[in-house]
Amino acid sequence: MNPDSPQAHEESAAASAGQPGGNGASGPSVLVGPPALDQHTPLLALLEQGLASEQGGSSVEAPALAGKAVDFASRGYHVEMTVAPERVVLAAQLMDSSGFALDTITGVDWLAEGQMELLYDYFHPESPTRVLVRCRVPRAAPEAPTISAVFPGANWHERETHEFLGIRFQGHPNLTPFLLPEDADYHPLRKDYAA
Amino acid sequence: MSPSEVIAAPEGQRETFVLNLGPQHPATHGVLRLKLTMDGEFIVRAEPVCGYIHRMHEKMAENRSYAQFLPNTSRIDYLSAMTYTHAFVGAVERAAKLEVPPRAEFIRVITSELNRISSHLVWLGAYLLDLGGFTPLLYAFDDREKILDLLEGVTGARLTYCYYRFGGVCNDVDEAFTRGTKEFVAYMRPRLDMYRALVTDNIILRKRLVGIAPISAETCRKYGATGPVIRGSGVAYDVRRREPYSAYPLFDFEVPNFPEGDCMARYLVRMEEMAQSLRIIEQAVDRLPEGPVMATAVPRVLKLPAGDVAYAVEAARGRFMVHIVSDNKEIPYRVKLRTPSLSNLSLFEEASQGLVLPDAVALLGSLDLVIPDIDR
Amino acid sequence: MEAQVECSQIVKFAVLDELLALGRANSLWPLTFGLACCAIEMMAAGASRFDLSRFGAEVFRPSPRQADVMIVAGTINKKMAEAVKTLYDQMLEPKWVIAMGNCAISGGPFVFPGQYAVVEGVDKLFPVDVVIPGCPPRPEALIEGILKLEEKLTGKRRWPRVPPQ
Repeated sequence: MNPDSPQAHEESAAASAGQPGGNGASGPSVLVGPPALDQHTPLLALLEQGLASEQGGSSVEAPALAGKAVDFASRGYHVEMTVAPERVVLAAQLMDSSGFALDTITGVDWLAEGQMELLYDYFHPESPTRVLVRCRVPRAAPEAPTISAVFPGANWHERETHEFLGIRFQGHPNLTPFLLPEDADYHPLRKDYAA
Repeated sequence: MSPSEVIAAPEGQRETFVLNLGPQHPATHGVLRLKLTMDGEFIVRAEPVCGYIHRMHEKMAENRSYAQFLPNTSRIDYLSAMTYTHAFVGAVERAAKLEVPPRAEFIRVITSELNRISSHLVWLGAYLLDLGGFTPLLYAFDDREKILDLLEGVTGARLTYCYYRFGGVCNDVDEAFTRGTKEFVAYMRPRLDMYRALVTDNIILRKRLVGIAPISAETCRKYGATGPVIRGSGVAYDVRRREPYSAYPLFDFEVPNFPEGDCMARYLVRMEEMAQSLRIIEQAVDRLPEGPVMATAVPRVLKLPAGDVAYAVEAARGRFMVHIVSDNKEIPYRVKLRTPSLSNLSLFEEASQGLVLPDAVALLGSLDLVIPDIDR
Repeated sequence: MEAQVECSQIVKFAVLDELLALGRANSLWPLTFGLACCAIEMMAAGASRFDLSRFGAEVFRPSPRQADVMIVAGTINKKMAEAVKTLYDQMLEPKWVIAMGNCAISGGPFVFPGQYAVVEGVDKLFPVDVVIPGCPPRPEALIEGILKLEEKLTGKRRWPRVPPQ
């Protein structure tokens, strides 16, 4: 058994630039805060570098790639990247090679803007870093490549996003309804859905 | 034929049939349907079919205010209802920058850990029932009733609590609760030794679980499996340690993990976790600070600033994360519930290849699924 | 004369229906049909503290062919409705249905304008004999529901009603 002992945990927290908050039951904010962002900056630079080099060699026009550090205490994730739909597989491969795991895929229907957004949350089994990859697709023909070859767990998340919002994932082996009945032809989480 | 020979046999040599397990079946822990393509006793392909208890939680979140969604959070995974409510109120508090008083944080930790023990006791009883032993169910449910008495005295509910509010908890705990909790910790420790003698060291259980359905840590990572599933494969991943929240950093506890990756490892992780939860509860009750249990100046009508916020907790089944997308209205724009059972079940197809049916049932029980957690 | 009086104290005559009703009521075999949260309270009612066995109802049968009463504990989803109806049809007469919990009675907390997945109450599928409200109902409420079903079968309630203090 390899216990993750509290001593080892405190040492690693001190080694990173994390600063503990208060240490008793006296003040209002007494609890140790989340790890600080400094330790994620190397990862952030790596991500920006990896995506920028692909963009330089590609002839596909894509929106400007942006990866930035975000305040964890108010957002719950450390790094946020906005990518074009063609880049989601590359982002997933970068996450996979850095040892991340896929948390979930969320689809958001921005009806007023005529777009749909895909949110890929990633977490790391051995590090506290949380990454969010965003991607916007046009609402009239929402499509994105599948990342289920990189993360097999994405298979079901993409099926669910497809059945609830209608976003098609190109290359997905089995884009059939997952939670809705097999013959469902409606997308309930669309903002213009009426039962 | 050994399992690997079954899988390797070319299609023409196999005579397969499809066996339907569920959706009404005593061993699927709810309404899960498994379409099993079988070659005799061996499973060639297992396809889970979900959605038989889809209750539209994410759609409901878009139709009601944040406070009106609180009862839903208990019903997503009803066995660890407290921890799920914790994630939702934590997400709202994170975005709205509400400060939770220390006493409320300690109470949240105590009630969440009591909830974790009661969830693991249900798992233990139901798992042994699947494997063919009826007796541990009765012992486990009896111990669980003691926890439910404590929580009922504070929250008023036995199963689907709605106890946490944005900024604290709705009721303070009284002396009867703290005394009862200390008595329960003293009562439960020898009971865990009893379970070890009665169940864990039982030769039949060992033959049923040791070496069955090994899952590697890499498979867990690829599928996003968390909780006792990944801890049973040697990775000490616990959200309470990796993304510390609430008062957990103040307590001294270990994250049990076992490297073998078989059903026995996942079983032992949960048994050890109950002991660690007792440790946390003991420390929290001893050091329970005085003070208010509700934050001051919580707005009556809660509006989160526009943007995304995520909050993760370690539920009994694994990592539960709430991701709220807000457009600065009283009603969230989108709420995504990342549930552990969905990710844990997604590796079942790969992990069950070549298993005989009883071993697949053992694997399913060791994943500790709650089907409404998958279907939401 | 005396012998005749003694005999009538030992030998009872009854209508056969009443005897059969008594037998059925005291050994109801439920179908294991826990769908959601109410299933856990149903399991707790069968476990050691609340002990359905006192009322003869602890033998949960997984197969509908062997069950008398279907305790619908949980939400009926439209995808599941066909399976529920099939299970009901497979049960042999005489059979009864207990709708346990708000979801089985009327869809429960999952009914809202625009809902697309929940059947609003199991009585939309087949007739229900006893309803037990609650979300989830306590195990004592489930026991009370079973006693009500026994009362419906035999016309008599076997357990005295305990007034609240």
